[in-house]
Amino acid sequence: MATTRNFPAGIFLALCIVCAALGGRPAFAADAAAQAGAAADPSLQAHADAVAVVEKLHAALLDVMKNADKLGYQGRYDKLKPVISSLFDTPLICKVILSRYWDSLNSQQQSDFIALFNKLSTATYASRFDSYSGQKFQSLSVEELHKGRLLVKTELTRPDDKPVKLDYLVHQDNSKWLIISVIADGVNDLSLKRAEYAVVIRDKGYDGLLNDIKSKISNMEKGK
Amino acid sequence: MLTTRLRARLSSLLIILSVALLSGCATTGQSKSDQAGIAPTNPDPLEPMNRKFFSFNETLDDYLMKPVAEGYADVMPHVIRTGVTNFFNNLAYLNVVLNSFLQGKIEDGFTDSFRFIFNSTIGVGGLVDVATPMGFKKHNEDTGQTLAVWGVGQGPYLYLPIFGPDTARNLPNFATSYYLNPLSYVTGIVLLPVVALNVINTRANLLEATNIRDEAAVDKYTFTREAWLQQRKYLIYDGNPPMQGLDDMFNDTSEGGTASPPAKTPAASGAGGK
Repeated sequence: MATTRNFPAGIFLALCIVCAALGGRPAFAADAAAQAGAAADPSLQAHADAVAVVEKLHAALLDVMKNADKLGYQGRYDKLKPVISSLFDTPLICKVILSRYWDSLNSQQQSDFIALFNKLSTATYASRFDSYSGQKFQSLSVEELHKGRLLVKTELTRPDDKPVKLDYLVHQDNSKWLIISVIADGVNDLSLKRAEYAVVIRDKGYDGLLNDIKSKISNMEKGK
Repeated sequence: MLTTRLRARLSSLLIILSVALLSGCATTGQSKSDQAGIAPTNPDPLEPMNRKFFSFNETLDDYLMKPVAEGYADVMPHVIRTGVTNFFNNLAYLNVVLNSFLQGKIEDGFTDSFRFIFNSTIGVGGLVDVATPMGFKKHNEDTGQTLAVWGVGQGPYLYLPIFGPDTARNLPNFATSYYLNPLSYVTGIVLLPVVALNVINTRANLLEATNIRDEAAVDKYTFTREAWLQQRKYLIYDGNPPMQGLDDMFNDTSEGGTASPPAKTPAASGAGGK
């Protein structure tokens, strides 16, 4: 390195001494590696029905990823559309996202919004999951939340990159498990959209929001 | 060196500012426990000012940072980018070491120290991350996270010119990361290209994230704020944020009746259960 000036060499020296005193590689350094190979979590079996819903989505995503080029954007969209419609509780998601504003819409507007949002979700998956390079989805565990809701914890591993933690909030509707929220590395897509949409409605009105969502969808169509 | 002096002055300014803000928010008693789910208080009281800085940064990014970073990403082989990223991460790692210890994560503190030592020596000045395969996991700690663990409230969300999203609680990190980075003690003209490389490489590493944001966001400012605040919380809890509050958003909806639309919530409390 070039001219180093008054770097607190003391800190570095102190650390070296401590490390030397401990001697070599400490046993606790290997902990993480040992844990990674652990057997499947029993909570996955206890909630097999809920886990199956998430794994169905993952299987569909892997399928479009592996055939991404052959299918093209539209092909991926068409394959994912029925899967997303049947696995997500889009009406409830829309209601929570629009929050206070939801009740001021008439039922036609509500069902239009649900259809539009379903289109947005599908388009987002179709545009983002557009290639395959050895990614793997793995279900990790299930946590129980309020009122029978569950959090299915999974991980997307990538060969040359850090894994992404994907947590799915699922609930039971007429004895059928449905996804109501996806949390990627701690970022909850639903609360993010809720905050965003409130701002857009405030600044541009509800029609402004609809236009923005439509243009997002058409950008994704054109992008691929 | 101009940039060094500027950064030094900037960090002392930020320390003063942060102390003022932190003492301010200490009185509001906003602890990290009540940030679960939807914060009862507005996390962004400075929104008008923040938005101005946001559009300033966005303009700077559109015309300068992003094009340069894209060019860099296009020409630089993956191996070199990894090396550059490792190098700067390693230089910044003493701040992680300090904050692991300050949070009482003594084991992490020691493994982080080993990480720094092995990567700095066997890893050729940090270019190669030899420590990870040896079992020394990379941690993400900073002074903002330490203060959160100590119970200091988040304070207002800040969007800073050049630096981007932040919170008042995180400002002292400018000081610790500055004084613990060996690069801060380098003087002379050599610093300029080194700092430039760090900035460009950092921006290039963020390209994927900002592209996803630009594709998804209908309001970039809000998207950035929410994503950043959530990501911070995730880091504070080392990837295991408390689950309570996670599904609060669904509690005011009458879940049973999703098929039959708007079922007015207060009246339907018997059916949905409040």
